[in-house]
Amino acid sequence: MTMRLVRTELVDSREILPGQWLQSFHAPALASGTRAGQFVHVRTGDLSGLVLRRPFSINTADPVSGTITIHFRTIGRGTEWFTSLRAGDAVDMLGPLGRPFEVDSRSRHLLLVAGGLGMAGVRYLADEAIRDGRQVTLLFGAASARDVYPSSLLPDEVEYVIATDDGSVGHRGFVTELVPEYEAWADQAFACGPAPMLAALARLAAGRRDRLGVARLGRRRGAGRTVALGSPAARRKAFLQVSMEQNMGCAVGACLGCVIMGVGGAPQRVCREGPVFAAEEVAWDSGW
Amino acid sequence: MKAKRRVTTAKDVRVAARRTPTVRKVKPLLGSAPSPSASPAPTRARSVVARPIAAHDQPAPSVAVDLSVDLGRGLVLTNPILVASGTFGYGIEYGDVVEVDRLGAICCKGTTLKPRIGNVPPRVTETPGGMLNSIGLQNPGVDAVVDKYAKTWTGWRTSVIVNVAGESVGDYVEVVRRLDGVPGVAGIELNISCPNVGKGGLQFAIDADAAGSVTAAVRRATDLPLLVKLSPNVADVRPIAGAIADAGADVLTAVNTLSGIAVAPSRQKPLLGNIYGGLSGPAIKPVALRIVYEVAQIVDIPVVAIGGVTELADVLDYLAVGAVAVQVGTAIFADPTLPVRLVDELAEECRGRGLTSHRDLIGTALPRKPGAPSAKGVEYRP
Ligand SMILES: Cc1cc2nc3c(=O)[nH]c(=O)nc-3n(C[C@H](O)[C@H](O)[C@H](O)COP(=O)(O)O)c2cc1C
Ligand code: FES
Repeated sequence: MTMRLVRTELVDSREILPGQWLQSFHAPALASGTRAGQFVHVRTGDLSGLVLRRPFSINTADPVSGTITIHFRTIGRGTEWFTSLRAGDAVDMLGPLGRPFEVDSRSRHLLLVAGGLGMAGVRYLADEAIRDGRQVTLLFGAASARDVYPSSLLPDEVEYVIATDDGSVGHRGFVTELVPEYEAWADQAFACGPAPMLAALARLAAGRRDRLGVARLGRRRGAGRTVALGSPAARRKAFLQVSMEQNMGCAVGACLGCVIMGVGGAPQRVCREGPVFAAEEVAWDSGW
Repeated sequence: MKAKRRVTTAKDVRVAARRTPTVRKVKPLLGSAPSPSASPAPTRARSVVARPIAAHDQPAPSVAVDLSVDLGRGLVLTNPILVASGTFGYGIEYGDVVEVDRLGAICCKGTTLKPRIGNVPPRVTETPGGMLNSIGLQNPGVDAVVDKYAKTWTGWRTSVIVNVAGESVGDYVEVVRRLDGVPGVAGIELNISCPNVGKGGLQFAIDADAAGSVTAAVRRATDLPLLVKLSPNVADVRPIAGAIADAGADVLTAVNTLSGIAVAPSRQKPLLGNIYGGLSGPAIKPVALRIVYEVAQIVDIPVVAIGGVTELADVLDYLAVGAVAVQVGTAIFADPTLPVRLVDELAEECRGRGLTSHRDLIGTALPRKPGAPSAKGVEYRP
């Protein structure tokens, strides 16, 4: 579906965790035809001082009710403005934007890894995967129990495993420490969260081949075949796909404000080539 | 300042004084025709400027309004609303969201001789009433730009002006040579807010001699319409503007971004990867307005205003201080359809006032006395 400007209407707004909001918008044009991993660029109110839209992952999309949800933390005047919205208020969204996650059709077991607000980046994929009859394990990391995404907001079919920095619930430590237990089970992994977490996951994924022999999917078909960087096939073929974040201006590829460094030494636009990248496409050690 | 400045008065009809175009690009005057979708737009901004009483409260008679702008050397724009370099990519990125053919012109992303990967991120951040950017002129280089986009541009009715950047006079000249004669390239806008390696990194834009020489060198290299973009980061822009005009530029565009920084939330370092960024958006409008006001009084080439345009009132302000056209930049990010809407609103404004052209709105706030220098603009610094 090509992007367009869509006038949406707020249906529901809830503070699901301290400072974290889940908002649902009536937006039939966005609720169908979008895919997990894509995002919307949302215009803030006409407050003098706010000149940029805010990018939000499409957290869930329901074609039946024609609604999409976004999940965000209040981190400034823009996000605070969103919390002041009431049901029925009109909101202007540009979307759907960016490239989605690509699940290999043979993948049965999906490992989703989310750090904090990164939940919003992979949440929709859980729905899609379950709809398609796949098994999903979601590893989630947060600072402490009060920041843990409520399991009631996840599909029942998802196996939900939590890690907290202070050990107040679940595993004490980083969410990445949970990964080795699942890497043999998983056919593919999908992650969103802070950059250091994604870099750590990328290192784990790179070592997976050595530990497990040839990657399971790669053995069956096209093991050594190279695919074009940035192509859907490059993502589909990857064991790990990451949803990256970067400050954005336009969100359509025009301003070059949102780049990360790609492996070929060429900057990649998170809004256009991303936000989803195969882990191998990102130059994690470039210092960018 | 090297040469004697050509000091001219603020003429009421400045556009009429332009050099006769050599090749007239034939373009239908689209700007004047209200688009079918736009005419009854409920969202139309209310006019901020009082209208003549007769035109009040009743539908304006549909006078044909001519919004065309002659920038010289055959560059005639259908309307005075352009999109600013770096904020609209190469014109294709917004896809169907923006009707590019209704824009006055597109200034594309800064183009250099060799590809540039640009600055380390973060590259953009919002600031009160504006934003900072430090893209670092990421672009694929002039040859790739021509290969990838020129063909598309030839199919457009709207003019594409290629924004050119360089680190030496030779760089600028070579880029412009490669653009000269390329179908689809309607003009050149020199971004001279770049460090001049030949002068120890001193920006061309802050030195009248350097600004004049790069303009003169490029002028010799091409017959394309030549726009030169002023930097606001100078104590007095007038000698620089004068030198550029004397060196043969067809148009001055003003302004580029203001130099600024932001601090990272951790307060342990500056926020932008490049430390320094350029401030744009409504926050810079008073500065840009002052510069257009100063420059319009001392040069006899057209001035195109840039800085914080977000609504019709901004366009009217810039026209009033002598600009013949405006560029919209940062505001596109929030409202991609704004430039096209401004075209309709400006036509409507003229119609409401019984004007057949926006030209009558140009220069109305400039000093009336012939030759009156702008005494207060620069010296008055509270
Ligand atoms: C993200 C971004 C990139 C820009 N890139 C360029 C550029 O490549 N060349 C240039 O001459 N100006 C560039 N500019 C400056 C704009 O063209 C314009 O002069 C400035 O933003 C002020 O206008 P505004 O307040 O309407 O944005 C850039 C501005 C922004 C925000
Ligand atoms: S945000 Fe403008 S290119 Fe990505």
